[in-house]
Amino acid sequence: MTQHSLAAGQRSSWLPPLPVIGAKLLELRRRRVLMIVTVAFTVALPVIFYGIRLIFHLGDPARYALAGAPSAFATAVTVMDEFGFIIAVTLGVTAGTTDLTDGMFRHLVITGRSRLALYLARIPAGLSILLSLAAVGFTVACLVTGFLGSPLPAGAVIPSPGAMTDAGLWLELDLVIGFTVGLGLGSLMGQRTVPVILLIVLEIIITPIMSNHVLPFFIDGQRLLVGVAMDQLKPAVLAGGTRIGPGGSIGLNIPPMPTWAMITVIAGWIIGWSAIGAWKMSTRDA
Amino acid sequence: MRTNRAVRGPASTRLASEAAPDRNGGWAVEVHGLTKRFGARTAVDNVDLLVPRGCAFGYLGPNGAGKTTLIRVLLGLTRADSGTMSLLGIPVPSRRRDALARVGAIVDEPRFHGHLTGRENLKILAAARGGNAAVQIAPALARTRLTERADDKVSAYSMGMRQRLGLAACLLADPQLLILDEPMNGLDPAGMHEMRDMIRGLADEGRTVMLSSHLLDEVQRTCDQVAIVDHGQVIRQGPIEELTESAGTAIEVQCSDPPAAARALGTLGIASRITITENGLTVTLAAGPRREQAAEITRRLAEAGISVYSLQQTHASLEDWFLSVTSRFGEEK
Repeated sequence: MTQHSLAAGQRSSWLPPLPVIGAKLLELRRRRVLMIVTVAFTVALPVIFYGIRLIFHLGDPARYALAGAPSAFATAVTVMDEFGFIIAVTLGVTAGTTDLTDGMFRHLVITGRSRLALYLARIPAGLSILLSLAAVGFTVACLVTGFLGSPLPAGAVIPSPGAMTDAGLWLELDLVIGFTVGLGLGSLMGQRTVPVILLIVLEIIITPIMSNHVLPFFIDGQRLLVGVAMDQLKPAVLAGGTRIGPGGSIGLNIPPMPTWAMITVIAGWIIGWSAIGAWKMSTRDA
Repeated sequence: MRTNRAVRGPASTRLASEAAPDRNGGWAVEVHGLTKRFGARTAVDNVDLLVPRGCAFGYLGPNGAGKTTLIRVLLGLTRADSGTMSLLGIPVPSRRRDALARVGAIVDEPRFHGHLTGRENLKILAAARGGNAAVQIAPALARTRLTERADDKVSAYSMGMRQRLGLAACLLADPQLLILDEPMNGLDPAGMHEMRDMIRGLADEGRTVMLSSHLLDEVQRTCDQVAIVDHGQVIRQGPIEELTESAGTAIEVQCSDPPAAARALGTLGIASRITITENGLTVTLAAGPRREQAAEITRRLAEAGISVYSLQQTHASLEDWFLSVTSRFGEEK
């Protein structure tokens, strides 16, 4: 008999094939409550937001501005971002934990498929749901702004297609961050509740405080928070017309970050948490 | 290290030689010097195990003996601390994917995504397996008699149906080797009968079935060969008939006062085990001339004033053998 050392490496492909991604997509898609909440936070939210504005405007045009006013666009996208981040985290944590909590992880490992491939399959599966729905919601915001924004009040301008694209990409990037961090933390902890709570606290409590306060003796360490970097990267159209990214941090009370620093922090969070999740998945007892 | 009993090679194993799917022969499972520790506790201690191809092989042991741990190590669910192993002649974990391509396994209670149907769960597993596993879904459902309920959510399945779905998941690989860890757990008598028939049918097709269980009766009915594990070590291995023969014979005694008879014979030194039954007691004999031992039993019971109605010689059951072996092992410790 040929005997091999236990230390020998594994030759399984780490790249997930399409059927494996499709299988994970099926598993997530069939989670009815999760999908309802995801659609609500990404698509229904802007529809309701603009619907209410439209009704108010039609009821009292003198008091309520046009549904598609430029200021409404910034508000809509900001709200979509806050709620979208929460649902991105929830979706990521769910994608990272359900195989384990449902007892399927063991079956999947026994198929011989590389654990890394199983982990990586979760990323396109989850993001395909999240980003497509967010794109639909964002398109609603753009369409309303484009078609129901005129006539404009004096001095106001409709955001250009380029500015809207910037805002859309920024929104999608924030959701990618929420998803990958949630996926990594969920895979690391192996359970849903605590990672979701931790990341929501990070997003809605810690990050706003860190973005807007210079903390004594903290030597700008808050720049390492991904939310702070994303706030500095926020397009001007979402920041009341003021560019707060590279070249200025008006609206924030911390010194501006150079572009390379923002990119490094954002990439670090995405890659770092993905690596942690993949490591845990590869070494976890099934 | 304790020396394990020598095991038979494939040439001397009836089913392995007749039904081995691989012309090269060899072992379905081969393990040498495998050790797995959890902190200070050694769950699997320097185990050697050889499972011949094409037979139903029982892997027996009391709860906590290390059965599931060894299976988990074999399947790559956890890492071994030392040792070498192979499945179907392919070394693991170095070529785990190749080895597992024709292996199906149930480990512990089979659990699935409850919000998906049985068919969808199998689709996920087939996608992970790749190849033509997806083609095997319908035949696997049919074979496990789940076709009619395949489109129901698994959360609505009974324990028996989940066990069958677990077996269906195993069949996606068109396996040469099935490793089933306590597949009868939680099943009612009808479910156990059904599962036993399915396992026996798979073995009769020439597939190797390694069945881990603490249900001795089920193993005796289902398997051709067994290994017994205790305290993380394989302490005996071989065909069931040979092992039970080696455990000696038993004598069923019908008498007027079975408890008193058990006490009287307990001091005699010829019995490896005495069990009080409904009609009397069963005395499993240790090694020695059986006729003289039977005579000695009669004499001792007469001296104790116990009326003997009948003495009948029987073969020791797997349970008798198991208990005699594990108790000897315990004494050696």
